[in-house]
Amino acid sequence: MSVQQQENSDSREMVRAEKIVKRFGDITVLNGVDLSVKRGQVVVVIGPSGSGKTTLLRCINHLEKIDDGRIYIDGELMGYRESNGRLVEDREANIARIRSQVGFVFQRFNLFPHMTALENVIEAPIHVLRQPKSEVTERAHALLAKVGLAEKANAYPHKLSGGQQQRVAIARALAMNPKIMLFDEATSALDPELVGEVLKVMKQLAEEGMTMVVVTHEMGFAREVCSHVIFMDKSVIVEEGTPEKIFDHAENERTRNFLGMIL
Amino acid sequence: MFQWDTVWHFLFSDPNHLFLLAAWRTLWISVVAQFIGVILGLFLALMRMSRFPYLNWPARAYIWFFRGSPLLVQVLLLWDGLPRIINNPDFLLPDFACILVAFSLNEGAYMAEIVRAGITSVDAGQMEAAKSLGMRFALAMRRIILPQAARVIIPPLGNEFNNMLKTTSIASVIGLLELTGTAEVYGSQNFVIFELLIVATVFYLLLTTLWGYIQSWIENRLDPNRTLKAELDQKGWASRMLGFGSPRPGGAGTLASGR
Repeated sequence: MSVQQQENSDSREMVRAEKIVKRFGDITVLNGVDLSVKRGQVVVVIGPSGSGKTTLLRCINHLEKIDDGRIYIDGELMGYRESNGRLVEDREANIARIRSQVGFVFQRFNLFPHMTALENVIEAPIHVLRQPKSEVTERAHALLAKVGLAEKANAYPHKLSGGQQQRVAIARALAMNPKIMLFDEATSALDPELVGEVLKVMKQLAEEGMTMVVVTHEMGFAREVCSHVIFMDKSVIVEEGTPEKIFDHAENERTRNFLGMIL
Repeated sequence: MFQWDTVWHFLFSDPNHLFLLAAWRTLWISVVAQFIGVILGLFLALMRMSRFPYLNWPARAYIWFFRGSPLLVQVLLLWDGLPRIINNPDFLLPDFACILVAFSLNEGAYMAEIVRAGITSVDAGQMEAAKSLGMRFALAMRRIILPQAARVIIPPLGNEFNNMLKTTSIASVIGLLELTGTAEVYGSQNFVIFELLIVATVFYLLLTTLWGYIQSWIENRLDPNRTLKAELDQKGWASRMLGFGSPRPGGAGTLASGR
């Protein structure tokens, strides 16, 4: 592989969203949103509640259907296929296959309560990717150790704190070896003293080169970790750029107002 | 004059095991009908919850019919009505087949609503988490949703089976000699109907009590906390078998007892 090709594959777009429109009834939640996330990039999406940032994230792995536009995951059209020049919903198997390459971390953790931490982590690799159990279990123990929960492998979720549950959820997503990780306000449901342990894991992931899209209210994390900040308000992207640009030299008044309120 | 010795004879020293065989018939009809009913109910529930009208309307109509008309009438429709519908008066469904079909179809409708309630009780985030990990609907149902729904489904399912054990007495109207039919037929022939109804009652109680014990064992198994296990271990066998004051897992009683 030549140097040129290497660069190309490194700057490959892991997520590309073109003019996404999403409506809930009469309300337009996303009104022509474009997004591009390159490999290894950490993109943080900020904005007031109701601005559409969570919906954008959910559209990326097709937890929400979109009303217009296109989303590509690593070059593949997500959720739809073209048929006679029109977009129709893709086959379930294909949607599931692309989703298995995208890690999603929920605000409410959504761990499987009838399984231990370890079982949560090994479930999808065994039953979706059909990897051998011994191999997956070994990897799961390593992942739990990585998020600092090696000794909690056999604990059920209700015995874990919110921060511990969220770290298991991150390990569960990582066990699929995703190409990209999406974090939907991963620390918003946590008690303040537990936020740090989850952010630490996310920061470590970013430093290891994981491609990430992070919806968050943690401005410190955004400033420190991310390479690109997107400010959304009222269903559109108002302004985007480097953390320095958005946090210190925002051009748009809405951006400045929002940051002024929460910083 | 009430003949205690007749009761005694049919309970303990009947060389023909008349009631034991009748109880066996009652039991296996119940088990088979309940089993088919659960499977049927699962598919009906999934159809009923589907967003596609061609799936959910047939399920709605089915449930509406089978919950809205008496089981006795459904049995008779199948027994007497089927030969007329297919216009062949000589055709007669075997009595066992007729009862099993009618009971299974009827039970399917009730189980559909119970299963639906169970699935609805599972947080929507569970399905989303499963999907986000690349699971397809069927796999997510089997591995993630149904195991959690089971905790909600099992207690009313236990009620249904308890009912089923007793509702099998309807089979006697088409001449199938399960417990009630046996008591009626032999009792009226020998003028000991009251005595034999007592014998039948004892066997019904035996079956339902045994089932109550099995049910609490299953519920206990499904409780990840296994808190109920500790509670049950502190109780005597009598309270377990008869269910006096035993709290349901997750029920108000469990909370009140300082879990």
